[in-house]
Amino acid sequence: MAMNKKQQILAVARGEKLDRLPFGARIDVWYNYHSAHGTLPAKYQGWSQMDILRDQGAGAQARFFSVTREEYRDMEVVETNDPPYITTEYRTPIGTIAKKEVFDTSEGPWIKYEMEKLFKSEKDYPVLRYVMEHTEAVDNFGPYQKLREEVGEDGMVMTASGGLWSPVQRVMREIIGYELFFYELADRPARVEELIETVKDLERRKLKVAIGCDLEVFNVCANWSDDIQTPVFRTYFVPWFREVSEFLHSHGRLVMAHTDGEMRRLNPLLRETGIDIAEAITPAPQTLVSMKEFRETLGDEVTIWGGIPSILFEPMYGDEDFDAFIRNMFREMAPGYQFIVGMGDNLPFDGDINRVGRVVDLIDKYGLLPIEV
Amino acid sequence: MADMSLIAQAIDQGDRDKTIELTQKALGAGDNPQDIIAKGLQAGMAAVGEKFSSGEYFLPDMLMAARAMKAALEVLAPALKETGIPTIGKVVIGTVEGDMHDIGKNVVATFLSGNGFEVFDLGLNVPAQKFIDEVKEKQPDILGMSALLTTTMPVMGKVIKALEGAGLRSGVKVVVGGAPVTQDYADYIGADGYAHDGGRAVPVCRELIGK
Repeated sequence: MAMNKKQQILAVARGEKLDRLPFGARIDVWYNYHSAHGTLPAKYQGWSQMDILRDQGAGAQARFFSVTREEYRDMEVVETNDPPYITTEYRTPIGTIAKKEVFDTSEGPWIKYEMEKLFKSEKDYPVLRYVMEHTEAVDNFGPYQKLREEVGEDGMVMTASGGLWSPVQRVMREIIGYELFFYELADRPARVEELIETVKDLERRKLKVAIGCDLEVFNVCANWSDDIQTPVFRTYFVPWFREVSEFLHSHGRLVMAHTDGEMRRLNPLLRETGIDIAEAITPAPQTLVSMKEFRETLGDEVTIWGGIPSILFEPMYGDEDFDAFIRNMFREMAPGYQFIVGMGDNLPFDGDINRVGRVVDLIDKYGLLPIEV
Repeated sequence: MADMSLIAQAIDQGDRDKTIELTQKALGAGDNPQDIIAKGLQAGMAAVGEKFSSGEYFLPDMLMAARAMKAALEVLAPALKETGIPTIGKVVIGTVEGDMHDIGKNVVATFLSGNGFEVFDLGLNVPAQKFIDEVKEKQPDILGMSALLTTTMPVMGKVIKALEGAGLRSGVKVVVGGAPVTQDYADYIGADGYAHDGGRAVPVCRELIGK
């Protein structure tokens, strides 16, 4: 019996050899934008994202935030709405910290950006640690199951035990902020490392809860790129991902990272993390790395999911350019095993949805495995 | 006269305290602040930029160097009160409207100012009209725009059109960047330059203004 789309993706990630390239597509940026603006193509007015993907013949990558959520004890968490900003204060017995966020509706209803980070100065470290230590993980399985049922066997729900970030990323991007993180790491390394350890402990609690759901692939961290300095990645990221991979593998789960940035300098380290899937791989012209280089550097240990940079869906590239790119990508990935065709990382809002179906047609013509060059 | 190569070396190592100490010493020894900047601080930044381009250094190495340079400039500020800090060009920079990402833009702004540009950072989520107003008022050599999202990327083209509409386009070079942006896209929207990352922004801007 033929495999369904979900089975195909999982089989490739487990190292099985299929007879054609699987395709898992992400269109949520395009879909959310046009749904919000009432500008979906006439044919798709009122359609769900999943039904559009089914119509195009592609497997789905359905994005979901997290299978756990955070609850707080022994502190008061006060949220103040002052549109467009939301200020959240964490009032603890040892002090108060606050963040200011703004919702961005262009990419999806849940995307929030911190306009003011929780960390402001050195005095915030003890309070931050208190907040993390007094945060509990509880399951968020209900909403996840609803989406999983909607996707069915036509693709994968992309989610994880925590939010977007692994612990170090969370400290770097969300809690302290990128530039300040590196200054703090230079000036007060012990303080930063203590905070990282506290966030890791919280993530371990989340993993223990999350393992109770039936998620097959855990997306353990988003938005890897070379701006995570290689020595920092080696020192702080690699040991964490090895630990997480061992834990998830021991429960029969697969491990994925959303690696959609410039990965030229991090690629050699990817194999040391123990992850199974590097997802949203984005090659040239959007980055400096070709698919051939990705394949060579990641070897057979890591399944590559991605390959079509968002920019290729832009109107500036005609159908001929698009087809030539896809065909060349297939050649570069020959013989084509451990490769899931996908986007790096999404269909842009002004992209042509029919190019998703075009990829399906090109796989039918040129994506039968093994690909011979 | 102080050994300017030591200041350059401290910048290269991103050592803020050492840079401050050596800058204070040079100033105390009667060195010309302009020389300290050109032969010490900017020479150090140039070395850091080269090491970044060659793959030896990483983005945070450049941030540390720029932080050291900024601290040294604060030391020199009183001595530069009359002449001001010498600049090689003026840049107005911002992340376009609808986009809340500013790491890349901040890095570019930091590197440009560390390399002798006078930078006016408009922040993130900058409306097109704000860019136009600032170009009118500041008359920069370069307008830098950043977008991380495919949803906001087209805004850069709209700003270029608005510059044309306002009769300002010929007076300013436009440089664009951001994760989804490519050289082809920069050409497509009519930008003058494209910088793949913060390190490359400096040579691109220098070349555009012939410095």
